[in-house]
Amino acid sequence: MTVEAAGVSTVATTPALAVRGLHVTFPSPRGDVHALRGATLDVQPGEIMGLVGESGSGKSVLGLAALGLLPKPEQLRMSGSVTLDGEDMLSATEQQRRARRGSYITAIFQDPMASLNPSMRIGAQLAEAAPEADQEQIVALLADTGIPEPRAKVGCYPHELSGGLRQRVMIAIALARNPRLVVADEPTTALDVTIQARVLELLARCTAEHGSSLLLITHDLGVAAQLCDRISVAYAGRIVEVGPTARVLSRPRHPYTVGLLASRPRLHGRVAHGKLPVLPGQPPDPRSPAGGCAFAPRCPVADDACARPTPVSLIDGRRCECHHAGACAAWPENGSSQTHADALLRAVQGDIASAQHNAARPPAQTVPVLALEVRELVCEFAAPRRRIRGRPGAPLRAVGGVSLAVPAGGSLAIVGESGSGKTTLLRMIVGLQRPTSGRVLLGAGAGAQLIFQDAGASLTPWMSIGAQIEERLARLALGRAERATRVLEALHAVGLPSEAAGALPRSLSGGMRQRAAIARAIAVPPTLLACDEPVSALDVSLASQVLNLLCELRAKLGLALLFVTHDLAAARAVADEVVVMSGGLVVERGPAERLFAAPQHPYTQELLAAVPDIARAA
Amino acid sequence: MASETVEIGVGSPPAPATSARRPARLSLGRRRPVVALTAGGSLRGALAPVGLVTLIVLALPLLATHSATAVTAAGPFHTPSWSYPFGTDDVGRDVFSRVLFGMRESWLSALGVIAVGATFGAVVGALAGAFGGWLDMVLMRVTDLFLALPAPVIAIAVVASVGPSLFHTLLALSVVWWPWYARIVRGEVRAHAARPHADAARLAGVGRARLVLRHLLPGALAPVVVTMSLDVGNLILALAALSFIGLGAPPPSPELGAMSAQGMEYLLAYWWVPIAPAAAAALLALVANLLGDRANRHLDQERTR
Repeated sequence: MTVEAAGVSTVATTPALAVRGLHVTFPSPRGDVHALRGATLDVQPGEIMGLVGESGSGKSVLGLAALGLLPKPEQLRMSGSVTLDGEDMLSATEQQRRARRGSYITAIFQDPMASLNPSMRIGAQLAEAAPEADQEQIVALLADTGIPEPRAKVGCYPHELSGGLRQRVMIAIALARNPRLVVADEPTTALDVTIQARVLELLARCTAEHGSSLLLITHDLGVAAQLCDRISVAYAGRIVEVGPTARVLSRPRHPYTVGLLASRPRLHGRVAHGKLPVLPGQPPDPRSPAGGCAFAPRCPVADDACARPTPVSLIDGRRCECHHAGACAAWPENGSSQTHADALLRAVQGDIASAQHNAARPPAQTVPVLALEVRELVCEFAAPRRRIRGRPGAPLRAVGGVSLAVPAGGSLAIVGESGSGKTTLLRMIVGLQRPTSGRVLLGAGAGAQLIFQDAGASLTPWMSIGAQIEERLARLALGRAERATRVLEALHAVGLPSEAAGALPRSLSGGMRQRAAIARAIAVPPTLLACDEPVSALDVSLASQVLNLLCELRAKLGLALLFVTHDLAAARAVADEVVVMSGGLVVERGPAERLFAAPQHPYTQELLAAVPDIARAA
Repeated sequence: MASETVEIGVGSPPAPATSARRPARLSLGRRRPVVALTAGGSLRGALAPVGLVTLIVLALPLLATHSATAVTAAGPFHTPSWSYPFGTDDVGRDVFSRVLFGMRESWLSALGVIAVGATFGAVVGALAGAFGGWLDMVLMRVTDLFLALPAPVIAIAVVASVGPSLFHTLLALSVVWWPWYARIVRGEVRAHAARPHADAARLAGVGRARLVLRHLLPGALAPVVVTMSLDVGNLILALAALSFIGLGAPPPSPELGAMSAQGMEYLLAYWWVPIAPAAAAALLALVANLLGDRANRHLDQERTR
């Protein structure tokens, strides 16, 4: 079952990092978690290697293993080897590992606020990382990362810097001793897209200047495509494909890579309108790994052979673990997309019937009016007083006079970076935040519902999914049996099984929780379905499923969609019309296709340019 | 934060209040909040040992060889022996039997004070947390006031005005014990009110009572249970202390603290008379603290799993 280790490396030089057949298993009372199941990977000196995978693929565990930061050996089982400069990190003593960290291998983590010491000045933390450097060299290190006024920033505490600057400090610390390898685990995931672009560029430039290799761990193929010399793809604890970036992206050999590339919403080409190709199903449970190919249940070219351990194919510098490497040239357009049509139609008919029963509203599709009209909406927050008896400062204007309209059954996306006021605007529209001035007019029907970014937190933890959906039906004067049926219809409409009704939120996976939250919101189909970053917390393969689901529900139930996101490609995949917000104001609006093809406002142009795009790399 | 939603909309029909008022009984996954929490085995697992110990303590007097108050044939100050394991006291009563009865009384008294305190505190905390504003202010200042009252002084005041009895001591303790629970429940309710699931419930148009009872209050259950289980030991000691200074049931009722106090003068000559009840109180407190720690760890694990 383990991969043949010999002859994997195709380059003659000693790799900066060589991982061979690495197994890492965390024992747990509910079944051992197989985080890595024979991962094999090389990072050559001076190269930028991207490690792409979804959550649970084991990519972060691999990074920690390279750093020698995994928990003590008593708490997990390991086999295989992680060789750093000729020395095995797995068998090394803690002292040996500590000696390697800092001088030979360093790390940059996702949350710079958590990895910087909040009680130490920036300069002191840099001095700790580079003990021999004097004050001038420390300032120079900071200046190298493009931090403005580095001399003044040396005396700052981490909380005084913005997220982008903190991550630059982390980069300065990581590169202070010219390490041979930097492990960057999701270094830009917490940053806005324009800042992300600058930090990535900096990361590439600095590692090149210091002659370091970079292992860039990310869930975002786009980020990897923009930066990396080679890309490796992790799935269910194994590295299923490794190769030069351009070739992996243009002609992927593993079906998972093909599906991952296909299911990404794009900024160019045909607008998906709810027909994004999807990877069906869910990533496998790391507690019960498959004997053969772990991807087989979701793979369009799988056959009986896939139940056997996967062979490794090495063709022109590329490594692929698949029985049918290269057999899946293009992901089937809709072949394996999940269909909810039957359940959905029944739910719709039920709604129309109940609507006629109540004689309250005609079917939403035929109403030629607006689902939402927002007029000059303003939201101001009182500024904190500087002194106890001082006068309050000028109020903070989160939203400064926004007007927009969504036709019944239409879809509008609001895009912007953090602090643009898009979420405050959404909360005012659904009625969770009182506007300072302006009006929100909702069309006739069942009002507005909101899908939250964190689906898990938006479900009451101690109520079953069924009970939470049923709560929404209280106004419909239905009998108990009717309500039960409606709950099941709502669940089926979002592709959840009937058993989900009795489940508590914590027993569902992230993707299923977001579906449950959607089911709850559409149990009584609202006039307007507002979504606050509904897919940003989901993995790529699940995000495209949810985007398609939202589009399908919009078409079938005649909902209007209001979609707030920082992800321009996701906005393009679902919206007819797009509004770009910055600093609480609308800076540009227009039909999705026009706006993304020919942005007029400089801010929109900057946003679009910052989005890492695969097409450019491939 | 504003706890009510803004009424907006041009044509949204007003909710028919009649059907919304009665919380829907569930036919699917029918679970009351308390049961829903126990479903994962978390609360049941945390509280089962407490229940077991309570049963054991309730059954302790079955082991008693004599009545708690009757004078035995052995006479006063009989040394510990097989028929009188802890000897007899100054009047000739069997110390062992009196200790067993005293343990039962201590344990049940502690549970009673906690139950009263937690219930009253939960009501106050839930009201304060749910309504906020001036009601929250008034209730929490009253809570602070009661927190500032020293338990022994209250107990002395109560006993001085209405006469010594176990019930009066428990009443006095309950008066100073509820504010902690009010604070915990208020804090949890307010924390849950700021979370997305409370926003989601508001968007569902649920009434305030249902919002609090179904979506906010169950969140306070686990921390309250942890506090309750850690409190049992404290209360056993507090009760023993009050009883030691004479603020409990009047003699000859078997109270651990009072027995110890009465036996103090014989400490050097007949040590078993004061030591046996004191050791029993210490043992009970120790068992209670171990149980509390266990419940705490158990619920913590369940939550961070």
